[in-house]
Amino acid sequence: MNIKELIQKFRASLGMQKELPNEAVLGFLRVLEEVRAEELDCDEIYAKLDEYVECQAGTHDAAQLMPLIREHLDLCPECCEEYEALLNVIEEAEEK
Amino acid sequence: MPTRTNENWLSDLRATGAARESALEDLRAVIQKGLPYALSRWLSPDQPQFNSLVEEVTQETLLRVLDQLDTFEGRSQFTTWVHKIAVRIALTELRRKRWRDSSLDELTENEDVPPPPGLLADSQAGPETSAERADMLERVRRIIEEELTDRQREALILLGVKDIPMEDAAHKLKTNRNALYKLLHDARVRLKSRLSMEDIAPHEVLSLFETK
Repeated sequence: MNIKELIQKFRASLGMQKELPNEAVLGFLRVLEEVRAEELDCDEIYAKLDEYVECQAGTHDAAQLMPLIREHLDLCPECCEEYEALLNVIEEAEEK
Repeated sequence: MPTRTNENWLSDLRATGAARESALEDLRAVIQKGLPYALSRWLSPDQPQFNSLVEEVTQETLLRVLDQLDTFEGRSQFTTWVHKIAVRIALTELRRKRWRDSSLDELTENEDVPPPPGLLADSQAGPETSAERADMLERVRRIIEEELTDRQREALILLGVKDIPMEDAAHKLKTNRNALYKLLHDARVRLKSRLSMEDIAPHEVLSLFETK
């Protein structure tokens, strides 16, 4: 047993949590550069998503017009999936 | 199918009798035309579960649209707003099914996360780089431990390590996706500020791990 494992065992015996895995630490750091103090939450994004997608599907640069939405989409995988799915619908289904 | 303006859609769906029935039928067709494109990344029309999912999502979307008709503000085409609702319902259902089928048992039974390969024990990195990586990681980890609440920490592990969809992580934490996003956002802002105070730039830490 190495020192790290001994420390973990000691922490566990005291009821303390195991330390954060390395990939959690690095994953967290990866998104920090994008983080702004002012930000929209998922409900606010959902409320504006149809408008944003129409803007993007048209000739406008939606990210420039609504940068806070773009920032949220860059950080939130689930909202981004919904954005991409809706954009696909508007670009493909609406044209046929 | 007649071309309707937003106002036509709203008035027909609020009407009674044939006008409403016809609008509902048309809306059903609009939703079903869009869903294959919404689902294309996950499911193709020749997969066995495709038709039942489309039917289930269409029904639920029609109900929700009628229920939320008064909340439509006219900032987009009515049909885009309807597609948005269908996308949310479809993806939520897909994520739930995907996660339930794949790893819920694993999640509840095995809380231990396997060590990530190659982060510190990189055979090509020299001893100095390895030591530097270990030191930096330990420093950042300590800061995270100090700054984050237990709940933020738990959310970070669920989403960042176990790669659980937000909806499912929210369910596990007995909250909702929006609150979970806020929880993480607060954690990120807090951590960013603390790292800045300690003069640590996230991209510099990451560069230690991304270059050999």
